[in-house]
Amino acid sequence: MDMLQTQADTAVELRDVVREYGSGQARVRALDGVGIGFARGTWTAVMGPSGSGKSTLLHCAAGLERPTSGQVLLGDRDLAAASERDLTELRRKDIGFVFQSFNLVSSLTAEQNVALPLRLAGSKVSMTDVRAILTTVGLGDRLGHRPRELSGGQQQRVAIARAMITRPAVLFADEPTGALDSGAARTVLGLLRSMVDDAQQTIVMVTHDPAAAARADSVVFLRDGRIVDRLVRPSVREVADRLAALEA
Amino acid sequence: MFSLSIATFRERWQLFVGAILTVTLGVAIVQSSLLIVASAGGYGEAIAILGLALGVSAFLAIFIVSSTFAFTIAQRRRDLALLRLIGGSRGQVRRLLLSEALLLGVLGTVLGIPAGQIVLSAQTALLENLGFLPASFSAAWHGWILWVSLGLGIGVAQAGVLAASRRAARVRPLEALRETGAGAKVMTVSRWILGILLVVTGLTLMLVSTAVSNPNGAIPLSINAMVALALGLSALSPVIVPLIGRLTGTLAGSSTIGRLARANLRDGIRRNSSTAAPLLILVALLIGLAGTFATLSQGAHDQLTDDVRGDLVAAGPVAPLTPGVATASTEYPLMIKVTSVNQGDTETDEFPALAVDPATYQQAHQLPLIAGSYADLHGPTVAAAGGKLGSTVRIHVGDQDLNPRVVAVLPPTLNGGPEYLLPRDLVPPAALGPAQSIVRLQPGADPAAVARSLPQPVLTLDEWIAQSDSAQDSLNAGVMKVVMGLAALYAVIGVVNAVVIAAGERRREFAVARLTGFTRNQIIGTALLESTVVTVTGLLLGWLSAMAALIGISGVAGTMVIPWGAFWLTALGAFLVVGATSVWTSRSATRATPISLAGTRE
Ligand SMILES: Nc1ncnc2c1ncn2[C@@H]1O[C@H](COP(=O)(O)OP(=O)(O)OP(=O)(O)O)[C@@H](O)[C@H]1O
Ligand SMILES: [Mg+2]
Repeated sequence: MDMLQTQADTAVELRDVVREYGSGQARVRALDGVGIGFARGTWTAVMGPSGSGKSTLLHCAAGLERPTSGQVLLGDRDLAAASERDLTELRRKDIGFVFQSFNLVSSLTAEQNVALPLRLAGSKVSMTDVRAILTTVGLGDRLGHRPRELSGGQQQRVAIARAMITRPAVLFADEPTGALDSGAARTVLGLLRSMVDDAQQTIVMVTHDPAAAARADSVVFLRDGRIVDRLVRPSVREVADRLAALEA
Repeated sequence: MFSLSIATFRERWQLFVGAILTVTLGVAIVQSSLLIVASAGGYGEAIAILGLALGVSAFLAIFIVSSTFAFTIAQRRRDLALLRLIGGSRGQVRRLLLSEALLLGVLGTVLGIPAGQIVLSAQTALLENLGFLPASFSAAWHGWILWVSLGLGIGVAQAGVLAASRRAARVRPLEALRETGAGAKVMTVSRWILGILLVVTGLTLMLVSTAVSNPNGAIPLSINAMVALALGLSALSPVIVPLIGRLTGTLAGSSTIGRLARANLRDGIRRNSSTAAPLLILVALLIGLAGTFATLSQGAHDQLTDDVRGDLVAAGPVAPLTPGVATASTEYPLMIKVTSVNQGDTETDEFPALAVDPATYQQAHQLPLIAGSYADLHGPTVAAAGGKLGSTVRIHVGDQDLNPRVVAVLPPTLNGGPEYLLPRDLVPPAALGPAQSIVRLQPGADPAAVARSLPQPVLTLDEWIAQSDSAQDSLNAGVMKVVMGLAALYAVIGVVNAVVIAAGERRREFAVARLTGFTRNQIIGTALLESTVVTVTGLLLGWLSAMAALIGISGVAGTMVIPWGAFWLTALGAFLVVGATSVWTSRSATRATPISLAGTRE
C-alpha cells in the first residue's frame, strides 16, 4: 500500500500491525502486517468479507486491542505500548466510538448519555452544549427519553451526539448503520459527513454497505487480514463490484 | 458518578432488593443483639447465644451481599465496559460500584434500625421463653447504637462489594462490543487459588482439631474448618455444579427437557453457583452446628457413663456405714474463682468445681487421671482439668483466698462438668452447694429399701445421667433455634434473590427457546429440573462441609452424631423454596409473547 500522506497530516497510522488470536493449532492471524495511515479530516471506509479482520483493524487502531506486533501511532503516541491510564485519557479527549449496537447506558436519558463522557472526564458539563448537539442530530425534542423509548435510528443519533460532544480528533465507527433502515442510515451518514467537512474530524468506519462506503472519502478493502485494495471517492457501483470480486 | 449510581439503582432495583433486605436483617439483628448484651451483664448464656447470632449474621450478610454483587456485576459487564469505552477510568468503575453499595448500605440501615426494635422484642421474648433471661428483662436503649448500626450497614455493603468491584475494574472496554455480557470466565485463576486454599485450610484445621484433646480448643477449630471448607467449596462450585449436573442429568435421560436442562447447567454456571452457594452455607452451618452440639452431648453422656460407677444418686450426704451401702461418694458442687497470671495479665474466671472426699470419690469415678494421684489430694491441694502438675493456682472460694498445689490432672470435661476437685475440708462449709452422693450398693442389697433410707430424692444412676443430659440439651436446643432460624432466613433471601436475578436475565433465552418450538410448560419444567440439580449440589456440598466440623469434633468427643433429622428437614425446605421460586419466576418470565422479548437486548 503506498502512503500518499506525510507524517504531519496523518491522524492515525498503523505500521506493520499483526494481530493473532489463540495459540498453537488454533492460532488465527486476524491482521497480517497491515500498514495504513488515515489522513486528518478524512473519512475512510473499511470493507471486506466477513472475518477478514475489519473489526480487529478498527480495535487495534483505537487502542482497544493490543497488536501482537507493530505500531499504532496516534499523533506521536504509540498506542501499542501505551499504559491503561494513557489509553483512558485518550478515550476521554482524542477518540470517540460509534457501534452497530448503539451502546447507550439504558438507565440514563438521552441528555445524560450525551453528557456522560464529559462527566467521566471531570470537565464542566454545559447543558446548553449538550442540548445544542442533540438538536444538531435532530433530537431536540427527545432530551429526556431513555434509550428504550427511542427508535434504533434515534438511539444511534444519540450515540453520535455522545461521540461529538468531546470533539474527538478521530471517530471510530463499526457498522454504524448496520442495524438501521435506509432512511435512518442516510441521516446518520449525513451527520458523519458534516463532522468531517465542518469540524475537520477524522473518521474510520467499518461497513458492509456499499452505499455507506460511497459517502466516505476513500475505501480500503481487506482480505485475510491484509489490505488488498483502495478506492478514492468511488461510486456505489464501483464499491459493490470490488466487494463482490473479493467475496467471490 | 453518584448520580449514575442512583440512575442504575432506579433502573435495576430488582437486582438489589435481596441485598438490601440482607443488610436490613443484619443491621436489625446486630443492633438488637448488642442492645440486649449491653443490658444483660449477668446472663452469660444469653450473651453466648447472642454472640453466636451476631457472628452468624455478620458473616451471612457479607456473604450474601458479596455474592449478589458478584452476580449483578457479571450481568452488567457490558454496561461497565461501555463506561470504560467512553472514557471511564478503572477507578471510576470501582467508585461507581462502591457508591452503589453505599446507597444500598444506607437504605438497608434506614430500614434496619426500626426493624431492629421489632427484632429486639422478638429476641427478648425468645430468650425469656427459653429461660436465658428473666421475665422482667428489658433492654435499655442507647444512642450510640445508631452509629454502630449505620457503620455496620455501610461496612457490610462495602465489604461485600470490595472483591467484585476490583474484578469489575478489570473489565476491558472491548467487552462492551461482545454480543453477550456473560463472555467472562467464571473460574478465574484467583478463584481457583482461593477455593483450593480454603479447602486445604479447612481440611488442615479439621485434622488439627481431631488431634486436640481440649474441647475449648477443638470446638472453634472444627467450626472454623467447616466455614473454610464451605467457603472453599462455594468458590469451586462453578466446577462442581456442572459435574453433578452431568451425573444427575444422565438420570433425566435423553428427554428433550433433560437435554436442555443439561445444556443450561453447563451454560449458566454463574447463575447456578450463585443459587447453590447460599444453600451450601445454610446446610453447612445448620448441620455443622447441630451436629457439633449433638456430638458433644453424646460425648458428655458417654464420658459420664464411663466415669461414674454407682447404683443410686441421693440428694444429700450419705454416711459410709449406712446399711446396704458399699461405698458412697458425697460431692458438693460449687463455683470458685480462679485467678491466672498470663504474661503479666491477671485474669479471674468462675469455674464449676466439686468438693469431694478423695478416698470415696476414687471409688465412684473411673476415668483415669492424666497425671498425679488422688492419694495426694489432701490439705491445700487441688485436682484440675488441664494445668500443670505441681504448679499452684490462686483460687477464691467462699470468702477465702487459697493457693493450693495441683496434685492431679483430670481429663478435660465436655460440656460444663467440674473443672476442679477440692478436698472437702479445704472448703469453708458456707461455700458448699447442696450435696449429692453417688452410692454403690452392697451385693444382694435391695435398691428400693436402701433408697428409702437415703436423703431424698434418690435417682437411679441412669435417671441421674438422663437428667444431666437434658439440662445440657435445653441449652443446645435454645442455641440451635436462634441460629437455625437466622441462617434459614438468610439462606431463603439469598436463594430467592439468586433465582429472581437469574430469571430476569433469562427472559430472552426463554423467549428464544419458545420460538424454536418449546412449550411454556417445557420451559418451566426445564427450569425446575435445573434448580433441582442445583439444590442437590448445594445440599451435598453443605453436608460435606458440615462433616468437617463433625470429624473435627469427634476426636475430643470420642463419638460422632450426624443430625439426619435436621438435614432432611433442611433438604425438604430447600427443594420447596428453590422449586417454588424457579417455577414462579420462569412462569412470569414466559408470560409475555416470545416475539416481543426475543428482540430485546440485555
Ligand atoms: N477474540 C477473538 N478470539 C479469537 N479469534 C478472534 C477474536 N476476534 C476475532 N477473531 C478472529 O479474527 C478474524 C477476524 O475477525 P474480525 O472480527 O476482525 O472480522 P470482521 O472482518 O470484522 O468480520 P465481520 O464482518 O463478520 O464482522 C476472524 O477469523 C475471527 O474469528
Ligand atoms: Mg466485525
